[in-house]
Amino acid sequence: MPFISKIQRQTDYNRFPSSTPIVIDNGASYFRIGWAGETEPRVIFRNIVQRPRHKSTGETVTVVGDHDTALLKHFDCTRSGPRSAFDSNVVFQFEIMEYILDFAFDRLGANGSRIDHPILITECVCNPVQSRSKMAELLFETYGVPSVAFGVDAAFSYKYNQQRGICQKDGLAICPGFTTTHVIPFVDGEPVNRGCCRTNIGGYHVTDNLKQLLSLKYPHHMARFTWEKIEDLKMEHCYIAPDYALEARLFQKGSKEAEDKTRCWQLPWVPPPIEEPPSEEEIARKAAIKERQGQRLREMAEAKRSSRINELENQLHGLEFLLQQLAQVEEEEISSFLSKTGYVSKQEIESTLTKVSQSLRKAKGESKVEQAENEEKADSSTSDKYPLINVPDNMLTPEQLKEKKRQIFLKTTTEGRQRAKQKRFEEELEREKKTREDEERRLENPELYLEQMRTKYKDLYEKVEQRKRLKINGGHANGNSSGGVGRGERLNAAQRERMRLLTTAAFDRGKGEDNFGAKDEDWQLYKLMSKDNDDDDDGSDEDEAELARVCSRLQAIDPTFVPKPEPTPSQAATTEVPRVRPLTKEDFQVVLGVERCRCPEILFHPNLVGIDQAGLDEMTGASIRRLASKNEALEDRLTSSIFMTGGCSLFPGINERLEAGIRMLRPCGSPIKVARALDPVLDAWRGASAYAANLQFQQQTFSRVDYYEKGEDWLRRYQLRYTL
Amino acid sequence: MEAEVIKAELVLPTHMSFKRIQMYGKYPKGQSKVRWKQLKQILQAEICQNYSPDEPNYVNIESPPSMQPCKRICDITGFEAPYHDPRTNLRYANADVFKLVRSLPNEYVQRYLALRKAAVVLR
Repeated sequence: MPFISKIQRQTDYNRFPSSTPIVIDNGASYFRIGWAGETEPRVIFRNIVQRPRHKSTGETVTVVGDHDTALLKHFDCTRSGPRSAFDSNVVFQFEIMEYILDFAFDRLGANGSRIDHPILITECVCNPVQSRSKMAELLFETYGVPSVAFGVDAAFSYKYNQQRGICQKDGLAICPGFTTTHVIPFVDGEPVNRGCCRTNIGGYHVTDNLKQLLSLKYPHHMARFTWEKIEDLKMEHCYIAPDYALEARLFQKGSKEAEDKTRCWQLPWVPPPIEEPPSEEEIARKAAIKERQGQRLREMAEAKRSSRINELENQLHGLEFLLQQLAQVEEEEISSFLSKTGYVSKQEIESTLTKVSQSLRKAKGESKVEQAENEEKADSSTSDKYPLINVPDNMLTPEQLKEKKRQIFLKTTTEGRQRAKQKRFEEELEREKKTREDEERRLENPELYLEQMRTKYKDLYEKVEQRKRLKINGGHANGNSSGGVGRGERLNAAQRERMRLLTTAAFDRGKGEDNFGAKDEDWQLYKLMSKDNDDDDDGSDEDEAELARVCSRLQAIDPTFVPKPEPTPSQAATTEVPRVRPLTKEDFQVVLGVERCRCPEILFHPNLVGIDQAGLDEMTGASIRRLASKNEALEDRLTSSIFMTGGCSLFPGINERLEAGIRMLRPCGSPIKVARALDPVLDAWRGASAYAANLQFQQQTFSRVDYYEKGEDWLRRYQLRYTL
Repeated sequence: MEAEVIKAELVLPTHMSFKRIQMYGKYPKGQSKVRWKQLKQILQAEICQNYSPDEPNYVNIESPPSMQPCKRICDITGFEAPYHDPRTNLRYANADVFKLVRSLPNEYVQRYLALRKAAVVLR
């Protein structure tokens, strides 16, 4: 059912003599062109133009009609969407029209210096004269066409079917098209424009509605809902319900019939590969690899260590040798000897010696205790390093004073570090002791312990809660009771407490003398005030830490313990936490239930999409009214031959619905017969082709000379006579 | 131009033998400088011509507003919708749909309303 364009270049252009007209059905959806007298148009394509830029060369090219998207990847299509020459059903963009005609004639095989055939082209009902004249100008000037005729596509379709007996010479043609829907009464085989009726709703609106609905319902699959795909869906699955309310109720109840009517579109979906638990061999293999890697690393580390040890030992030996040599050397030659080796004094050599031996010992990995001892020894030798500390100030020179200060500083810092270490050690011991006690208590009396823990948890929780509440409420509570005008809401509880203390201290003893401060306890007030803020926060932190600890303990040992949820700021629980679960097949299904009949319903009720005009059934009534024929028989004849053409009339169920709708408008008992065209899509072209093949056709056209001489007014009144 | 593109004849050639004036002659700078008149302007020009009102023209033959009572269907599900939400201006069918309606972010609300041209348009 989806349309396939035919754009093969035709080769037999030259076979046709100059008198054979070319027939063009210029529709808002598709453009059809062919030769008069044939049954099928030669070239069919979508009436749109794209002007993308080529990615590598950068030039802007024109692409007419629908093309394979795979080829379009060579072009940058971001700035150029498909553009149509139409606005509603009137051509207004003649540049685009020219591109389209170029393409059409080219594919028809046109060669030669001009298009030397008369042209029959379709237009909309009551086409504005400006559009008509510009079209004529385009054809005459640019293409050199000898003569042109304009006709209405619905009328051609009607005549074609009339000849085949589908409809009579008096009847109504209903043509739901791409952008508009027309109802045209025919009297004596000629369309009566006076009674014509047009609503601005068509297949475009139906497709657009379906696209929007699906995009809103399935936002994550929005990229899949392209225009072409949705049109395909519409053509395949949409239908018109005989009574929309009944259908909707059916779907709402979710009955079996509704299930049958629901269509499901499965998008391509690849289930994620199931990760099976690694088998035994896998685990073993991985473990072996890890083992080997670990081994390699250890070997490397070992090698490095041994090389470093060797290095240090060598250095040590060298230094010892040096010392020995030094001992043997005479006093006077020490300085010259030392300058050769690079060390300044004996002490330096000795200190380097000790350092090297220390690092050697560390590299060899001796126990920590020895290290600690060494450190202590090293520390004890610090008193040697700070020789100047104990020397009183007045015996030192300025440089030595500076030196002394530096040594004092160093000493105090090292001592401080030692003290800190000691304290940490003690704390560690303390903590271990506490946990041990805890364990003992638990082991000897589990129940009691559990009870104690629970009560402790509850108390802590309450305290934390309360503090939190105070903090929040302190900001929100009435400002009346707090000190300070208008600032009450901004201060939290602690600050308000401070203010209160201050004010009471200041004003409380206003009666008598101000003897604040006479007693020592009064000054404690300041301590309270200043510490109030800090204490609060620290205390709450401690409490919360304690709470967390107790909570974890309880969770570890008590299987029935459920931690009370953290108090979160109150939110309206409208949005649920998105549940993250693996995507299933169902997530990739697009379900078309009531949308199947909701979208075409807009043809009958345009106010469902906000267009305030009559629907199909009402339009027929309006059209008959406008005719104002006052001839009952004529009206009966009109309704007994109602003819449906146009792409949108292909919806299943439209005939019955239309009949039911019209029956509501007409007097009881009047004959109503609705017939559909043999081929609603192509019949317009076929009718035009049959019309153009008629010998009398030439009289209905107008030539270039006519166009320039007779002027616009004549063009406005130009009308084809459809019965030849 | 890639071989497959040329083979498929995707691109419209710039020179056509049957044309008297080529596109690049008419519109030297690529796009036409002419601003084509939109339909509204064309129709206004037509009305101004003061033709007899009896004659059918493009505007005349437009159909009248619908006489039938407006059918109210739910914006989201498509079922019959007797209810209307004053806050979002959406129509809904029952309580479950109402929950959904109230939980929609504003963007979706406007898109649903745009379906029946009831969205708030800020220009």
